Amino acid sequence: MRYWLALLTLLALAPRAGAQDEAEQPAADGPAIVAALTQERVDIRSDFAGTQLILFGAAQGMRESDDIVIVVRGPQEDLRVMRQSRVLGVWVNMAPVHFEDVPSYYTVASTRPLSEVGAFSALRREGIGLDHLRLDAPETERQEVRFGVEVTVSEIGAEIAEYRAAIARNRRREALFAETFQGVDLLDGGLFRAKVTLPPRTPVGDYTVDVYLFRNGRAVADRSVTLEVRKAGLERIIYEFAHQHAWLYGLVCAALAVLFGWAAAAIFNRR
Amino acid sequence: MQVYLPIAEISVNLLLLLSLGVGVGFLSGMFGVGGGFLMTPLLIFIGIPPAVAVSTQANQIAASSASGAIAHWRRGTLDLKMGGLLLVGGMAGAFAGVQIFGYLQALGQIDLIISLCYVGFLGTIGTLMLIESVNALIRRYRGTRSTTNRAARRKRRWIDRLPFKTRFPKSGLYLSVIPPVVIGAFVGTLTAIMGVGGGFIMVPAMIYLLRMPTNVVIGTSLFQILFVTLLTTILQAGQNQTVDIVLALALIVGGVVGAQLGARAGRNIRAEELRVALAVLVIAVCLKVGWDLVATPEDLFNIISLGRPQV
Repeated sequence: MRYWLALLTLLALAPRAGAQDEAEQPAADGPAIVAALTQERVDIRSDFAGTQLILFGAAQGMRESDDIVIVVRGPQEDLRVMRQSRVLGVWVNMAPVHFEDVPSYYTVASTRPLSEVGAFSALRREGIGLDHLRLDAPETERQEVRFGVEVTVSEIGAEIAEYRAAIARNRRREALFAETFQGVDLLDGGLFRAKVTLPPRTPVGDYTVDVYLFRNGRAVADRSVTLEVRKAGLERIIYEFAHQHAWLYGLVCAALAVLFGWAAAAIFNRR
Repeated sequence: MQVYLPIAEISVNLLLLLSLGVGVGFLSGMFGVGGGFLMTPLLIFIGIPPAVAVSTQANQIAASSASGAIAHWRRGTLDLKMGGLLLVGGMAGAFAGVQIFGYLQALGQIDLIISLCYVGFLGTIGTLMLIESVNALIRRYRGTRSTTNRAARRKRRWIDRLPFKTRFPKSGLYLSVIPPVVIGAFVGTLTAIMGVGGGFIMVPAMIYLLRMPTNVVIGTSLFQILFVTLLTTILQAGQNQTVDIVLALALIVGGVVGAQLGARAGRNIRAEELRVALAVLVIAVCLKVGWDLVATPEDLFNIISLGRPQV
């Protein structure tokens, strides 16, 4: 039911949204995309163990050879990545690199493998795909002019690539980063559908879902929708209490511990 | 059945948490140790962030030691005066420990220091305790009563020469107040840094350094642990917001039940056997933590999240 409602809404919206995009793009019959998620807000409650959303979309003026790419980005966080080395037989965290504004969730779904969909430069510019995701470590970078062009140079050289790969590897293990090549189903008449999978460890915050229409290796239309993941119900109340009235929360935790310990002693001694 | 932990921000199996609580609580009640030295590594192993594991653990130990301490209080196996002195030191230690924890966390070396502490303390104490308790067992089987031990008990040691002596009627001791306060402070520091109650250090210290009778040692150590962990809970919650009440409740419910069962089981076992078993357990955890330090990690890179944006 929800599925069909979403589709109907999209079909109703399609011409209007298309007209809006035309204003931005001079081409009169330029392609345009509309998209919507089955849910725009995900509530994390006590039984949250991951969830799946469906993104519906319609691409106006879509051709047979065109591709759809969907990128979901979670709230950004700063990371400290450390390489472990053996010191006196013990593995120790060394050589920390500080990465800034790394998405805590990042998944890409496309109709075909990304390398067949888009040109290197187009993917790189939009940050589409795990190979093209921007992972900046500003403390290790400096701007240099080489051959008259300003470029970003990493002070730790090629090693930065290993750190970047480590982030992707780590996040893939927790299903927070993913890249699927058959993740988008094309339906009739430029309609498409994709699954967005949120794992149990889904970070809380604002997500953006970017939908791109690729033609001849270039993104010719795009559309952005937002998704909010938040704690709800008791979990939200506890979280806010723990942060806004931290000392009181600590006292409550301590009191509960004594109460439970006393109750157990009382119950067990009655026998 | 999955349950979402609001502070740890992950979803874990509730039955797993409950059975961890029962298992560790059982050992806690039997040996008079908080069980933190088992639970903290286990929590980190199942994916709880170390900072949350250490802080929440303090809360759980408070509950299980409360139920244990009350049981010992009713049986009259608790030296309140000695416990009070240990507590004075323990509170000072907990304050210091929370500060040290924050400093090490900022350096990014907290995990390493925690592991090294585990290996060092558990290895030393486990080995000493194993040697002593096996010797005691051998003496008992040979039928030679511990005459040497009684002689040693009367010999004056440096501890007996310390000032501010007072009488501890429950333990039958005449002792300076300094050693209990120092031991308490040391253990309190470890509570905050390692997420342990410190029973595994305090129990041997009370037996070998203070020469307290074994039957009051367990109740008294639980009494000290109870109040130090309560203070640590409040400090960690207030300063670092790392106490997860849902995780704590799941562990507490399992833990208090386990602790009661353990206290019952412990009464039917003789003190020497109890000490051998505890020593073996401590050495096993030490070896596991030590192995993780030297074994080649699955991934050579470690990723630490520095502040996650919240809604």
